[in-house]
Formats: sequence, structure tokens, C-alpha cells
Amino acid sequence: MTKIDTIADSSGDKYKYGFVTAIDAEAVPPGLNEDIIRLISAKKGEPEWLLQFRLRAFEFWQTMSEPTWAKLTYDKIDYQKLSYYAAPKQKNAPKSLAEIDPKLLDTYAKLGIPLKEQEVLAGVVAVDAVFDSVSVATTYRAKLAEQGIIFCSISEAVRNHPDLVQKYLGSVVPYTDNFFACLNSAVFTDGSFVYIPKGVRCPMELSTYFRINAKNTGQFERTLIIADDESYVSYLEGCTAPQRDENQLHAAIVEIVVLKDAEVKYSTVQNWYPGDKDGKGGVYNFVTKRAACRGANAKISWTQVETGSAVTWKYPSCVLQGDNSVGEFYSVAVTNNRQQADTGTKMIHIGKNTSSKIISKGISAGFSNQTYRGLVRVSPQADNARNYSQCDSLLIGSSCGSHTVPYIENRNQTACLEHEATTSKISDEQLFYCRSRGISEEEAVSLIVNGFCKEVMQQLPMEFAIEAAKLINVSLEGSIG
Amino acid sequence: MAALLQDISLIGDENPWLRNLRARGRQAFAAAGIPSAKTEAWKYTKPRELNNDDFIMAQPANLGSAAYSLPFDAYKICFDNGYFNPAASDLPQGVEVVPLIEALLFCPETRRLAGSLADIAKHPFAALNQAYLNEGIYIRIEKNVQLKKPLFILSHTTPAGQNLFFNLHNLIVMEENASAVIGEYHYWTGELKARYFANLVNEIFLAAGARLQHFKVQDEAFKAHHIALNSVMQQASSRYEAFCLQRGAGLGRNETLVKLSATGAEAEVNAAYVMNGWATLDTTTDIEHLAPSTVSEQMVKGVIGGDARGVFQGKIHIAPNAVKTSGNQLHKALLLTDTAEIDVKPELEIFADDVKCSHGAASGELDANQLFYMQSRGIGLAEARQILIDAYLDEVIAKISNEKIREWIKLFAQSADK
Repeated sequence: MTKIDTIADSSGDKYKYGFVTAIDAEAVPPGLNEDIIRLISAKKGEPEWLLQFRLRAFEFWQTMSEPTWAKLTYDKIDYQKLSYYAAPKQKNAPKSLAEIDPKLLDTYAKLGIPLKEQEVLAGVVAVDAVFDSVSVATTYRAKLAEQGIIFCSISEAVRNHPDLVQKYLGSVVPYTDNFFACLNSAVFTDGSFVYIPKGVRCPMELSTYFRINAKNTGQFERTLIIADDESYVSYLEGCTAPQRDENQLHAAIVEIVVLKDAEVKYSTVQNWYPGDKDGKGGVYNFVTKRAACRGANAKISWTQVETGSAVTWKYPSCVLQGDNSVGEFYSVAVTNNRQQADTGTKMIHIGKNTSSKIISKGISAGFSNQTYRGLVRVSPQADNARNYSQCDSLLIGSSCGSHTVPYIENRNQTACLEHEATTSKISDEQLFYCRSRGISEEEAVSLIVNGFCKEVMQQLPMEFAIEAAKLINVSLEGSIG
Repeated sequence: MAALLQDISLIGDENPWLRNLRARGRQAFAAAGIPSAKTEAWKYTKPRELNNDDFIMAQPANLGSAAYSLPFDAYKICFDNGYFNPAASDLPQGVEVVPLIEALLFCPETRRLAGSLADIAKHPFAALNQAYLNEGIYIRIEKNVQLKKPLFILSHTTPAGQNLFFNLHNLIVMEENASAVIGEYHYWTGELKARYFANLVNEIFLAAGARLQHFKVQDEAFKAHHIALNSVMQQASSRYEAFCLQRGAGLGRNETLVKLSATGAEAEVNAAYVMNGWATLDTTTDIEHLAPSTVSEQMVKGVIGGDARGVFQGKIHIAPNAVKTSGNQLHKALLLTDTAEIDVKPELEIFADDVKCSHGAASGELDANQLFYMQSRGIGLAEARQILIDAYLDEVIAKISNEKIREWIKLFAQSADK
């Protein structure tokens, strides 16, 4: 349970992380065409196969249309007005933290990222910080390298480990997958790459912080995680973005390959700028996340806390190919004011004895709308598949909406599938009980909400859990009374 | 699609209002076409065979009253290949039960009802039905009247080597505090492989305090198409209680839309399906809570064998002002073979905070432990399976409050091929 005083702490309803760092950004002109893609590829010094991959994706993207099935309304995005590449200007690649722009470090300090390499602190994490589009610093690399773990930016991985990247890039999320994934495949700028070798248990939580900073830049991150046989990694992704009035687009891809007996835990805290009270501004978040359990006994666990973004379109998925593989999805989504979130998961059971679990908690307040949209599919050969889904929604205020749209497709008689969903509000009895014990209304709501989310929050790594609990309180500010 | 949109002359074509109504249905169906998998509402149920275009408009088979028997005492409204059969029918006295076309032509106040609940823009087959609006029955139960016996609509099809196509459209009006039991039985005799198409629409109006129990058994030929839309509008404190058993047809869809439009309205929509072979049986519901303190309950259970596919799509919608409402839904399916399939899409759409809503969905196979227990006590495997399946369906069939009808429906469920 987090401290309740965080609500009083935060300054009004202003977005806490709303500052812009003035750094020269080297951006390519706005617009999207083959030349821009060639330019991005050339700037990053990419090999020919990757350029071809991008061009194929772009060609396919032009034949696609933006999906409209989600319960979302937003202004049409003009893809020609966006700039597809922005990198902080650097003379040479930095060799140590001292060479990095102090303003940049200052920004991270405000966000509380332990970027500075210090001795091993309690809960210290290796951070591959992504500022706009290019990784500017990667810490603890040496320590990880000792065990053969590769943790670097994806552009570095393309240079140094082309065989791995070429083998797995697009193998979980092909560029033909969906409109936004296809766009990302054509124009992705940077992201993180993780490879955990056979039998290695990653000794620390790997973490990356995404920031959207330069004006008018779409952010197209691409993360690729490969967990080889019998390995384990816990990966954290956290996001904050400066306050800005224009809508910003984020179309990321996260691909995870989990091989035999390996386990990957992927945790996200997303608190991008949600727009102001009237729904002006805010980030458009269209993300494709998918993990493939390729080997037997593989396990993937997604945990997400979604509090930010004006529009969220995100369905972290598990493809359970290996026998006995396990997929888990834990989600807390909080929407307030005019935010809209359409999120959920897909569990595709292919291997035998596969099991999956979905725990989704949605909290809507203000004028926001939230949808859980999920798919559980059991293919004919997936004997003894097991799924348990639970989707609970909490409504705060009479003007918000909460929707649940699960799809369940079972083609195997031995599968056992269960789905439950409930919707309710904070009961007057609960509130009265807290109030009668001297707890203010806002604190009481925060207490109840945190209890409602607890099942998911306890899946988060410690340092994340505290931040996430604070975020939920901040997000719900002003929604009561 | 041409075979479904034939240019035939219908009774009342000279009436401009009716001609116009039919033309609008025709246009809407021509524009929408036969739904494909891309249509979200028809994602899992694919009426592809309707594209074959080998349907002919049905003609009556001149059945006598012997073809319409029920094991309990009931008023009967009989249809023969989609045509009203007055000679075989047994209509109640003192209650307005007239062929729909007569009501529309001679009783202009019924015109505002026809087509008012079945939205042809959303439902292509309701549009097709409206294009042929002709056959069907108009039932009006007057204020405070209680119908003594159940009133059954018996639709008998006699396909004689041809792919017949017919439409039925019923209007049921329950005035204030009226109460009735209305049943539907859809069945056939003749050629087993007949691929006929029955396209049905019921529009049901419940005034304040009215109570209607609506039962249905769908037992069509195993290659037939049976597509039915039940659209219900409920006023304050009215109660609608529905149960539908689907056990026939190659493609069967029973779609129930309920609008709980005033305070205190209650709806209980239950269903069961049992199937085998290559059938697709679809149960779709959409319950709209439009007013405060409305209640809905749904339970649907299915047993799927062979290469069959069960589909359940259930939606509960709560409008922004509909506080203090409760909406619950449960779907369970039992898969008997490794080629059976179940596709489920339960949906909650909630725009008010002070509500209690839930849905649950589960699917699985027969419990091996239970089978073992019975076998260890000398019950053969086949019999043990049958006992467990019957018990599985019993949970929902037991919700039928009318005892005679419950027993009748139970027999249908138990005797179905599994």
C-alpha cells in the first residue's frame, strides 16, 4: 500500500512531468515517402537487408487503411505532417556519462531515473535510456556482458549482432500484421535489444525509459527481446512525456521470443501526457506487443499499468506455441477526463497443455471511456489448454464509460476456458466506513482503488509498484466529488 | 442474391404505404447484401450458402390440422411453408389475432408498429423480411386480459426437393397489465437434405405492467437456414421471459434484442442449443438498459458435437441515465468431440456508474471423473454421457416456469442427436 499523501503532494492537476528540454534535435523534414525511409536508414548506417525490410513494409502500408474497429474517436492523423526521425545532436558517440549533454541528464534526474552509473544500490537497474529516438547511454553493460547478455539499442544490435536481429526481427510481429505495426516496420528509429543466452538468469531488472521530447516527432520504437533456452529476464518499460498541446503519435512494437524453458517478465508503466481536462492534446499510443513462446515450458508474463495517453490502442499478446507454455497478462488501466483506452490481450493456444491467465482491472473516471478487448483462441491441436480471464471495471462518476468485449474461440474439446467480468462503482458503504474513521473522501477513494488493483500491482517489481501506485492516485485526482 | 430478391407481386402492393415499406426493405437488403465474416455481427456465423441463389419462393403444401399437434392444450396459429393456414388453426376468442397483412391494410393504427423495432439498417435479414412483408400474425392482448391457454405459432415446412424460401413477420402487442404465454415451434417433414430458408421477424411490444412468456423450439431440417430476429420493447414494470431451444437447422440464428425503456422493466432471456453434424447454431442477444432500475438476466447453455460450431454473442448496454440497473449474463458450452467449435463474444457496454453488471463464459468437456464415477457404478459410458449432458442442459431448462412446456422442451433437448 502506497502512501496516501501523494495526492496532496502533486501540484494541482498539472501534468507532473510536463517540461520540455531544449536540446537541438536533428530531425528530417516532415513527410513519409521512400526517400525519407532511405534517409533514415542511411543516417543510421543500416545494412541493405534492413532497408529492404523497411521498404517492403512501406509498400505494404500504403495498401492498408487505419483500423476503425476500436471504440476510439480521435482526429484523423496526417501521416505526411509527422517527422519520422529526430536524434539529439551529437558530435561523436559518447563514451561515458560525462560526455552526455548535462541538460539531458537533468531531465532524467527530474524523472528519477538512476542513469548515473553508481555502485550497486538497492534495486538498481540497468537503463537503456531512449531519448526521443536514439539510445544515448547504456549502463551496466559491462556487467551484463560478463554473462553474455546483450542489452543495447537495436541499431547497435543491427551493427554488432546482425545474425540475431535478422533471424528474429519481424518473426513475432510481421510487418503485415496491422496498420501501425506496418508503419513502425517502415520507419522505426530505435529501441532496445536484449539477448539472454542459454541457461542465464539475468542478475538485474532491465529497464528502458521512453521519452517523447522533440516537437512533432512521432516515436517509433522497436524492442526485440530474445530469451534463449532456460534463461530468465525481467524487463521494465516506463514512460513519461512532456506536456504538449499537439497530439503526438507513438506506434511502437515489442517483440519477444521465448525459447525452451525460458521465462520473460515484461512490465510497463505508461504515463504519457493524457491531454488536458477538455481532451486537448495528449499522446496517441498505438502499440503492438507480442510474445511467442516457441519452446516447451516457456513462460511470458505481461504486466501493465496504463494511466497516460489521450488514446491508447494496445493488446499485448501471447502466442503459446511450445507445449506446456504459459502466458499471463495483468493490467491496470486508469482513464480520467477525456482519455480513451481500448486495451486487452490475445492468448493464442497452439501447443499442448498450455495455460493462460488474464487479470484486467479498468478504472474509468470523468468523461473517459475504456474498453477491454481480448481474444482467447484455442486451436484444434492445443489439448488440455486452460484459460482463466477476469475483467473487472470500476466506474467513478456518472459520465464515464466502461466496456468489455472478450472474444473466446475454442476448437478443442479438452480445453477449459473461463471468463468473468464485473462492473461496479465504489459503494457508498465502503466510502462511509472510511469516512467514519477520519479518512478524507479522496484518500478513501485512493485506498479502495489501490485495493481494487492490488492483484495486478503485486506482479510489478518493487520500485515500479510504488511509482505505479502513485501514478494511479495522481491520474484520478479531481475525479471525486 | 437475386433469388432472394425476386420481383413478385404481393397482397397490398396497391397500397402506397405498404409498397413504400417493402421498397425500403428491398433497398436496404440490396445495399447491405448477405453478411460476410467482415460484418462484426456475423463474424462467426456465415450464411454463405445463401449466396448460391437457388431458392424459390415457397408455396403452401395444403396441410391438414393433423400436421399441427402439440402434447398439451394450446391455441394454435398454423403456418404452412410460411403461409397462414386458417383451417388448421385454433384461435382464441375475444383476443385480436389476425393475419398481419389484414391488420396493416384495414387497421391503420398498426402501421406505426410494423418495422418500428426491427432496424433494417442494422439487420440485413430484417430488411429482406420487410421487402416481402406479407405473411405473419398480428396479436393484440387487451388491457388487463390474461390469456388462459398458451398461444402457439406452429411453422411447418414441407420441402419437396426444392430450396424453399419464406418470410414470417409477427407483431405482438401486450397492452397494460396483459399477460400471455406465446410459443413458437418451427419444424418440418419431408426430404431430409432440404436446404430451405426461413427468415423470421418478431416485433414485440409490452406496455406498462404487461407480462409475456415467450418460448421457442427450433427443430428445422438439418441443412435448412433459420434466421430469426426478436425485437422487444418494454415499458415500465413489464416482464419479458424468453426461452429458445435450437436443435435443428444447418445454420440457425436466434437473435433477441430487448429495449428496457422504462423504470422497473425486467427481461429474462435464456436459451439452450444442442447440435451435431456440420451445423452452426448462433444465439445472439442485445439487452439495452435505457431507464433506471431495470433488470436483465441471461443464461445460455449449449452442447456441441460432430463438426458443429456454436456461437454466442451477448451484449448488455447500459445507457448513461440507467442507474440502479442490474444486468447479468452467463454462457456455458460443452464440447463433445475434438472437431466441435465454440465462439463466444460476451460484451458489456456501460455508460453509468451505479450499476451491477456481470458476464461469465465457460467452455469445456465432460468431466472424466464424473464419467468414471458412473461407470464404476455399472452405468455404461454412453448412458453416463447422456445423463451428464441432460443434467448439464437441465440447469437452464429448469428456468422455464410453465411446467408442461418445460417438459415438452426437455424431451426435445434429450432426444436431439449429440
